[in-house]
Amino acid sequence: MKYNTLNAEIIKELENILGSKNIMLDEEKIENYSHDETPKEFAHMPEVVVTPTDAKQVSEIMKLANKHLIPVTPRAAGSGLSGGAIPIYGGILLSMEKLNKVIETDYENMMIVVEPGLVTNEINRLVEDKGLFFAGYPMSLLSCCIGGNIAENAGGGKAIKYGVTGQYVMGLEVVLPTGEIVELGGKNVKDVTGYDLKSLIIGSEGTLGVVTKAIIKLSPKPKYATDLLVLFEDVNSAIKIVPIIISKGGIVPTSIEFMDKLSVHTTCDYLNEHLPYQKAGAMLLIEVDGTREDIVEADAETIGELCLENGAIEVYVADNHTTQERVWNVRRNIAEAFMVYSPEQSLEDIVVPIANIPLLMPEIEKISAKYGIKMPTYGHAGDGNLHTTLVKNPDMTMEEWFETEDKVLKELYEVVYSLGGKLSGEHGIGIKRRDYLKNHVSETELMLMKKIKRAFDPNNIMNPGKIFSL
Amino acid sequence: MDIIVLIKQVPETSNVKMDPNTGTMVRDGVESIINPLDLYAIEVGLQLKEEHGGKVTAVTMGPPSASKALKEAIAMGCDEGVLITDRKFAGSDTWSTAYILSAAIKKIGNYDIVLAGERATDGDTGQVGPNIAACLDLPLGTYISRIDKTDCDKIIVERLLEEGYEKLEMPLPALLTVVKEISFPRLPTLRGKQRAKKTELIVFSAENLELDENLTGLRGSPTRVVKIESPKVMRNGIMLSAKDEDQLEDAVNKLVEFLKTKEII
Repeated sequence: MKYNTLNAEIIKELENILGSKNIMLDEEKIENYSHDETPKEFAHMPEVVVTPTDAKQVSEIMKLANKHLIPVTPRAAGSGLSGGAIPIYGGILLSMEKLNKVIETDYENMMIVVEPGLVTNEINRLVEDKGLFFAGYPMSLLSCCIGGNIAENAGGGKAIKYGVTGQYVMGLEVVLPTGEIVELGGKNVKDVTGYDLKSLIIGSEGTLGVVTKAIIKLSPKPKYATDLLVLFEDVNSAIKIVPIIISKGGIVPTSIEFMDKLSVHTTCDYLNEHLPYQKAGAMLLIEVDGTREDIVEADAETIGELCLENGAIEVYVADNHTTQERVWNVRRNIAEAFMVYSPEQSLEDIVVPIANIPLLMPEIEKISAKYGIKMPTYGHAGDGNLHTTLVKNPDMTMEEWFETEDKVLKELYEVVYSLGGKLSGEHGIGIKRRDYLKNHVSETELMLMKKIKRAFDPNNIMNPGKIFSL
Repeated sequence: MDIIVLIKQVPETSNVKMDPNTGTMVRDGVESIINPLDLYAIEVGLQLKEEHGGKVTAVTMGPPSASKALKEAIAMGCDEGVLITDRKFAGSDTWSTAYILSAAIKKIGNYDIVLAGERATDGDTGQVGPNIAACLDLPLGTYISRIDKTDCDKIIVERLLEEGYEKLEMPLPALLTVVKEISFPRLPTLRGKQRAKKTELIVFSAENLELDENLTGLRGSPTRVVKIESPKVMRNGIMLSAKDEDQLEDAVNKLVEFLKTKEII
């Protein structure tokens, strides 16, 4: 696809739409919009950054871009992990930072209507006093925005019980690549009125349109939570317990986080955490929550007993702020701990059916040994979504690293697919995984996706080059 | 070796809100936890027990809800929990609290070491531990950072001081207040939690203790809180700009002048 570059005339037109204060051309300023949380080699500069203040302006921008064949890349917080918000063809970077308001709080329907640039945690902060929360938030809720969560259909550590972002999006206002503004879904709990186009937008990584308004469902916030930190001798016994908790225990925990030996040891060393982790080959962090303290306590006890019956070395119980912070601190600092070893990493997001995690782990070890790089694996065992991370060996040159990274990813994805898994559970494909996706998706499925893309975006100007190349 | 660990239940203060009118903390919906610095004392007690045998008794004074802190201490591995609770004790200051706790320790009787955290995160006085040593006429070691050696009649410890460390040899029984450096507190285990649930706490009220009631509670407390104020954070900075070298000297002079008026240089 050949795109046009911006000229003085188009910039003048953008100024007419937005006013000059909503346009950035200064290289130093727009550099901030050239990357997300993926490594710097994915970065690309936009030609212009625009900050619209309403859907009408977004619509005018899209019409203009569509007319002149200028690529448009939407962006909220830029905290993504797949390069989705990177303007790989330059063009217009559409930053939603000024569309960050709460439009309506509708407590009777337990819903909140927000703009895409609102920081996700702001929703929870706002409705906290009413005993409510938005349950579909990802782990980065303090820094990410709701628009990005919708675009990626983000999930987090609590997906096993609460699901992912998409389950809480009731309705969307979307500006199409051709400029029309369309309302999809709404406040109805049930709605089978035609195709579920709203769900098509959720997780489309900004390739089908720009979300300018979202109706988000709120849920009653659990009052109590207890965490169990469980040490196991090896990965197998740790993972085997996961289906047992739900089937035998009859309890759906809020989260089941898994950390392999390498993750546990490196992070505990980094934090100077003196848990008796030396004998642990794997660790689970299991949380249960609810509205009654006695039930939460009893559920935690049931799960703890099941763990002990099934070979756990020790079960620690954290039911207050001091101890909960301490156990979660280990989980939260894994990436940070490996940064000390080497800042060059590839954070993966593979997902397999939970019963296959034990089969996956030895394969990861084999690949790691074969290529001589560390591959700590941790993540959401409860839903099979693991953040295996490729960490560059400090002795490698950058060329060797890129070459190794590519080979390792190919082998890793082969294994994942052979176990019925997928490339990404919650981070998305974006640019980071685009060229690997085509090896694993059927021609028919890819063709359908491309047809849908063309139906929404005939000129392929909306976040082009993401997920697949048209 | 029998050990008494003194603990206090305090509000969890990582996300504390202050009432702007009264200057006091908003306690509604704030979780109560074991004073974080007391966890180190518990850990030291448990390690001493593991090495020398005996038992560890956790002691706290507070409302009946403070039993939660004792249960947590038992879940960590303490053998017993003693709750000192009575409406008459409400409003006790550090002096009065030390007096009441001393009476309770006397009643418990057998002990070789009394351990306490360096201070509590709410009152931040660090006085109760040393005050108890005075009441009971026990040798006192504050800011203990290491236990080198101990047998039935003496203990060798290291104190953390501003200029370095001080080594002390003390006869037992003694009272020690400990600093963070001394240990890494263990987490409560599931088995510990189950044991704590079953363990009945020992409760002392004013009637069970030999006390002069005129010396307890608000009435017996010499400390009077006259006013509580939260300090206001004021940023009275000035902006100096020096866009090119010509303005640099002028800006530096202004900065020096500003720092002088603030008596920083």
